[in-house]
Amino acid sequence: MKDLCLHGVEVAKRRGATYADARIVRLRNQHVMTEDERVADIRESESFGIGVRVIVDGAWGFAASARVERGEIERVAARAVDIARASGLAKAPEGIHWAEEAAYDDVFGTPVEKDPFTVPLEEKAALLLAIGKEVLAVKGVKKCHARMHFRREHRHLATSEGTLVESDTCTSGAWYQATAVDDTTAKDRYFEAPPRNAGYEHIENTPLLAEAPRVGEEAVAQLSAKPCPVGKKDLVLHPSHLALTMHESIGHATELDRVLGMEESLAGSSFATIDQLGRLKYGSPLMNIVCDNTMPGGLATRGYDDDGVKGQKWHVIKDGILVDYQTGREVCHAIGAKRSRGSCRADSWASIPIIRQSNIGLAPGTEPLTLEELIADTKDGIYIEGMGSFSIDQKRQNFQFGGDCFWEIKNGKKGAILKDVTYQAITTDFWGSLDAVCDERFWIPVGIMNCGKGDPMQVAQMTHGSAPARFRQISVGGARK
Amino acid sequence: MNEAEAVGLLEKVLGLAAADATVVTLEGGTQASTRLADNAITQNSEKSNSVLTVSCAYGRSHGSASTEDLGEGSLKAVVETAQAIAKRLPADPEYMPPLDANETKKYADVDAFFAETAGLEPLARAEQLAAAAKMVAGKGLRLSGAYLSGDRFEAVANSAGLRGFHRSTEAGVHLTALGETGSGWAEKISNSAADIDANEVAERALKIAEAAQDPTDLAPGKYTVIMSPAAIAEMLAFLFWGGFEAKAVDEGRTFLRGKLGTKICGEETTIGSDPADPRCPGASFQEEGLASPTVAWIEHGILRNLCYSRFWASKQGKEATGRPSNVIMQGGETSLDEMIASTEKGLLITRFWYIRFVDPMMPLVTGMTRDGLFSIENGAVAQAVKHMRFNEDPLDMLRRVALMGRPERTGEYIPMLIPALKVRDFNFTSTTKF
Repeated sequence: MKDLCLHGVEVAKRRGATYADARIVRLRNQHVMTEDERVADIRESESFGIGVRVIVDGAWGFAASARVERGEIERVAARAVDIARASGLAKAPEGIHWAEEAAYDDVFGTPVEKDPFTVPLEEKAALLLAIGKEVLAVKGVKKCHARMHFRREHRHLATSEGTLVESDTCTSGAWYQATAVDDTTAKDRYFEAPPRNAGYEHIENTPLLAEAPRVGEEAVAQLSAKPCPVGKKDLVLHPSHLALTMHESIGHATELDRVLGMEESLAGSSFATIDQLGRLKYGSPLMNIVCDNTMPGGLATRGYDDDGVKGQKWHVIKDGILVDYQTGREVCHAIGAKRSRGSCRADSWASIPIIRQSNIGLAPGTEPLTLEELIADTKDGIYIEGMGSFSIDQKRQNFQFGGDCFWEIKNGKKGAILKDVTYQAITTDFWGSLDAVCDERFWIPVGIMNCGKGDPMQVAQMTHGSAPARFRQISVGGARK
Repeated sequence: MNEAEAVGLLEKVLGLAAADATVVTLEGGTQASTRLADNAITQNSEKSNSVLTVSCAYGRSHGSASTEDLGEGSLKAVVETAQAIAKRLPADPEYMPPLDANETKKYADVDAFFAETAGLEPLARAEQLAAAAKMVAGKGLRLSGAYLSGDRFEAVANSAGLRGFHRSTEAGVHLTALGETGSGWAEKISNSAADIDANEVAERALKIAEAAQDPTDLAPGKYTVIMSPAAIAEMLAFLFWGGFEAKAVDEGRTFLRGKLGTKICGEETTIGSDPADPRCPGASFQEEGLASPTVAWIEHGILRNLCYSRFWASKQGKEATGRPSNVIMQGGETSLDEMIASTEKGLLITRFWYIRFVDPMMPLVTGMTRDGLFSIENGAVAQAVKHMRFNEDPLDMLRRVALMGRPERTGEYIPMLIPALKVRDFNFTSTTKF
């Protein structure tokens, strides 16, 4: 594979490319799906191909093919050069700034104790069916959808600068949803082994079956729960919920290609513009947002990005102030950086690398604080677990979120389950109201498998970690006014 | 890949299978995208692939496997994988045997392939975008967007003798013109690149962008709104995304529970699917070779049909529809200018962004306006206003339709033919900063 990658790069260079890279990727997916007590489907898929990306006369070209053979690679490399020449009709006057990066010859692999693809399908299906049986045993639960997903990506990347890296990443995850139905409505409750770059041991180490009765009972409890109040409440947010809020209001907003307008036509741009770097008060001083593409288990942890940049760890927000972005080699010059942060990834051999969210999360609090202590310190609030409805404007300012399950907090006590909770805020107001974060003992990474961006749409994976955190006086219930 | 090549390959794969029943599909094509940002081409890509999927069954136990490697060894391997999965699993009470060849008699005659579009060169896309960018730059604004083109084919064959092949091309431009404080957006989608004129699309986006500068604050609340076809399409896509699945409806898990045959929205609302409609053709068949439905989903406000899988249709004594291949909403004759002229106080919406369910049982959806929101006063566009968030029940919204325009081709995920609408009391709940 290395030779074929190098051949693609060489052909592109011979045809006039001043920079070229070639990626050969083999991607394997396995989905095991159950509905109630039946195996609904098991799907295995494999994708294999090569993509060649070039810069010719200061303009980009990319072509890809599923036929990984020398002759076809020569055609693809030549096609990429031709496409770049067409791009030259409307190139940026200043050309392409391509930040320097050392050349690497390296291999990266996800540490895996138990290869999920060798675990018998019967064993996986049996666990999901057992979960379905437990969930459906709860009176009022009428439906249980459950799924396991395993993903293995083997990538070779060669660049015209001499980098030749190989990565072999493995992702494992499982989830299920209980649906309670009565005469008037239906309510869901969700539980998961959040997707993680790990082997089947991640599934075995998560109490999927043991939690099933509680998950079913919490779905049923929502049917007759009190509705969301309307007004301002303190919110205590569990990492399983906060992951999505961070993803939408921080992760996307600090992708430098968006900030610079390169995704304007589809995914949108960002309010966190570069003129505010080092000055924008994004949140309270407790807000420390750290990107870490070296984090064990992180879905964006793969050794090197698709620009050939080594994985790094850095703050984008420090003590509440915007101090950096998630960058790639093409755009990092815009903030005066000499080196990319290594956030460029493509979702397959057939896609062009674009800036994707890193493993990005909220650093834990530095003072000892448990979730129980945080709730005990909250007089009038709502505690939220899990992800639900989510929507945010295209500059990442006005957002509205739901959740998966909600509890009233009254005078320091977690009370009854609520239903249909929504909250709405402006990003900087919301993060400005952060006044407590539990400590590192309670920091949990939550993987996201389906982040959409690009045109045509690409789907990327990343991990958002946090400890439970509290936000003061947030507007709730406005969606139903 | 042409029909003979695709079906020939599928027959070869069927010949490798030893299962009781086998369905094989091949989907692929070439997809090209030229992207623009700040008047310059920033990405320009082309990819070709084909995905072969093999579904095998022993008795009622089934499994499937897919690959993009069409080499001899891979074909054999993917069949063996599908068979191995099927052999190891318990019987599925919802398994359906393969459709027979008679199903193909229901396939709509769809004309959606244009050879010159399939062969559209990157230079042709780049030339159109470069000219459009130059025009917008000349007006002191910036242009972003994309020109996408490509061809697709779907082929199906099974052990019961069914053979099907469908191919199509698509070309589309969507452009955002940006000034310092506001933006405008426009699109054009067709199956033929001959219909695409990026400059014409850019001019529409530019006109909106120029008017969208310096937006003022406006309090959220209920407003009469005039919405573009693209905005309506985005909301309707959410209704069809899950809400119409017959099994979920019959089990009480969607907002349409108990509503079949009843009035769910206004008298003027008629929404259906017809893959043969030349204005927005759909695929002639779908999963497993099931014919794409020609069907009325909502007729004069009455819910007439749901999306029935083959299993659920057989259980409920209905005809299997599968999923819609396109969505066609009947409209009226009112032009956008006439809608504006008839509005004393209201808002003009260019498009929506990030619509999601808040309560899928109500249904309640939320989303933002994007790329131009304008107040209307005394029958004329008055002022750009800052974007707003809405929380609305789309079915209830369709009870408050005052005027309808002529349907236009739109749809981000599925071909749609949708009219602009003027709607009373649209519910905005908050504003944003721009």
